[in-house]
Amino acid sequence: MIRAVRFHGRGGQGAKTASRILGTAAFIEGFVAQDSPIYGAERRGAPVAAFTRIAKEPIRERGLIACPDLVVIADASLIHDPAAHALDGIDDRTAVFVNSPLTGEQFQALASLPGRLTTMDLTDIALQQFGKRGAISALLGAVAGRLVGLRQESICEAIARELADLGLAASVIERTQTVAAQCYEAVQMVALDTSSREPAAPVQLRAPTYEPPTRGTARITAGPNSAIRSMAGWRTFRPVLRPDLCNGCWLCFAYCPEGVISMNKDDRPVIDYAHCKGCQICVHECPTEALVAEREKEGAVAWTAK
Amino acid sequence: MDGEMMTGNLAAAWGARLADVDYVPAFPITPQTEIVETLSSWCGNGTLNARFVTLDSEHSMMTAAGAAAATGARVFTATSSQGLLHAFEVLYTVAGWRVPLVLVNVSRALASPITLEPDHNDVLAARDSGFLQIHAETCQEVVDSILMAYRIAEDPRVCLPVMVNLDGFYLSFTREPVIVPDPEQVQRFLPPFRPTHLGFKASAPHALGTAVLGGSTYSYFRHQIHLASMNALHVHEEAAVEFERLCGRRYDVVEGYRLEDAEDVLVMTNAFASKGKGAVDVARAEGRRVGLLRLRMIRPWPADAIRHALQGRRAVAVLDQNLSPGQGGILFQEIAACLYHEALRPQALCSFIGGLGGKNLSDGEFQSIFEQTAEAGVRGKGIGPVLLYTEAEHREMVQLQDIAADVRTS
Repeated sequence: MIRAVRFHGRGGQGAKTASRILGTAAFIEGFVAQDSPIYGAERRGAPVAAFTRIAKEPIRERGLIACPDLVVIADASLIHDPAAHALDGIDDRTAVFVNSPLTGEQFQALASLPGRLTTMDLTDIALQQFGKRGAISALLGAVAGRLVGLRQESICEAIARELADLGLAASVIERTQTVAAQCYEAVQMVALDTSSREPAAPVQLRAPTYEPPTRGTARITAGPNSAIRSMAGWRTFRPVLRPDLCNGCWLCFAYCPEGVISMNKDDRPVIDYAHCKGCQICVHECPTEALVAEREKEGAVAWTAK
Repeated sequence: MDGEMMTGNLAAAWGARLADVDYVPAFPITPQTEIVETLSSWCGNGTLNARFVTLDSEHSMMTAAGAAAATGARVFTATSSQGLLHAFEVLYTVAGWRVPLVLVNVSRALASPITLEPDHNDVLAARDSGFLQIHAETCQEVVDSILMAYRIAEDPRVCLPVMVNLDGFYLSFTREPVIVPDPEQVQRFLPPFRPTHLGFKASAPHALGTAVLGGSTYSYFRHQIHLASMNALHVHEEAAVEFERLCGRRYDVVEGYRLEDAEDVLVMTNAFASKGKGAVDVARAEGRRVGLLRLRMIRPWPADAIRHALQGRRAVAVLDQNLSPGQGGILFQEIAACLYHEALRPQALCSFIGGLGGKNLSDGEFQSIFEQTAEAGVRGKGIGPVLLYTEAEHREMVQLQDIAADVRTS
């Protein structure tokens, strides 16, 4: 028997740690476990996936989980990002958890996802309880643990081990365990269907043929390296200009690592929100506090950072 | 469940720790960095009584590793991909010094284009360097292989450096249960390093790798390296027996999986061999008589063990997770060469190239390999190199190209 859980998040949200919490909890309960993350060059906000397998026998699988029993989506904006592949392999037997303020029904109506959907607003819980967004790994792990049928005590023990590994203080760990336990209790259950699937049929292979180097080499021929791909979903916070406070010093323009701030003829910054990744460097550098960070929340700005 | 959850990288660091190494020259590179970070912290807090030095490049790192080993210190170092290539000149040099250090390579595909995920063009590029090569499938095998590597490397019949390879991501960042060998058993398995031909120290002039102009001396010394490497086959066997006696796990130069009555055999290496074994189970359940041969030792090349495992089969498929442009799969060539003189050689040899840059190998691709290999066996004529690239992947690639083309023309 094997349980295959796939986590999707953005760098910094804790998808990898969540997958480890789940793996450790399963291991504590005597299962063979395997967990692994996959990500690109290290950066906050970029799509990250992590995989946890739980079995009674040695696991003869590695890496990508193509047909998950449970998918945990830490950031709803990943659902419609084709690069994240969050919906791959989900069918009507797959359980799907989405970190969202919407209920499962509301979400379903909005996004019409395949799979058996359940939701909870873990980001809001983390912001309320810990005052920061990065702290949802334990909550994701707790929710996943509940959905695959692991015990609350093993999840709490796993949270302690994994967060201690990350160097967190005992008091923080204890607080996290308490909040995670609440999430464990509160998540609305959906049934897991892990009956064995049809074995895979041989796939059709199609090797690429030779194409001229204009197509056959990896290169970028445009200024922005992702001109038609929006990075807006990377943000938890967006920088917003309060024009009356701006003194036109150009510091935000100089410090923006993405080059998405341009200056208009009145020396005021104009932010390209399609490519701003929400790093907040401009907000921190602005000497007059003319730039403020506002929480992105499913379209409307609902929470303003201190 | 015994043991503890551990990444391949942490298992590699444990290998160095249990071997009680004296010196760790280091340079970071993804996906290897966790190994030297861990060793750095252990050296810093006194858990490991070794000198940890961060060098300015992998070239310097390998030079320092070789030089330290030449003083009689037990040396461990680790790198990956571009880092291994940057150290390339020194790999050959220190192999000629006959210094028995252990280098862990965490496989990552080579530039360009650049990526972080694994294939084996990095480690196989070093196959002619004189380093022995052991390729691991599991995190457990990583720690165990490092211990075996020191024992083999330091044997007077060998005295060559050893590279232990593990796949980036699929082992390096993957946690699975690992049993850490008991330090006392390791001490018995791995006696202190007492090299007879090394001993750089103050006031004792000593030169290694000296100039030998005129080919006959050069030929002699290079051939000595070859003979030393070949000796490692037998020394590995002895080490395997002793390791099994002390730690209960057995590793041979090749590993057969469900070979007994297999008509067709798939040859693989490294972490994806786990997936290959799973695919063999699936194919067997559907009535195909298939098995898997995993190559664990790549240098020296275990030709006899390979011949023994593959003779009399209907068809053999070699899955190379590498690509030699203008040629094809690297291991396919070596397998084909060592079967040439075998009277009962398989009727068809098939070459598959897959998992480049960490590309997933789906269950469907494995089933396609088994199907094509069986057909080749019936036909009595091999195929390849066949790139494992699915229709769906092809579609997605074309889509990406079209997006890029739009940007260029808009």
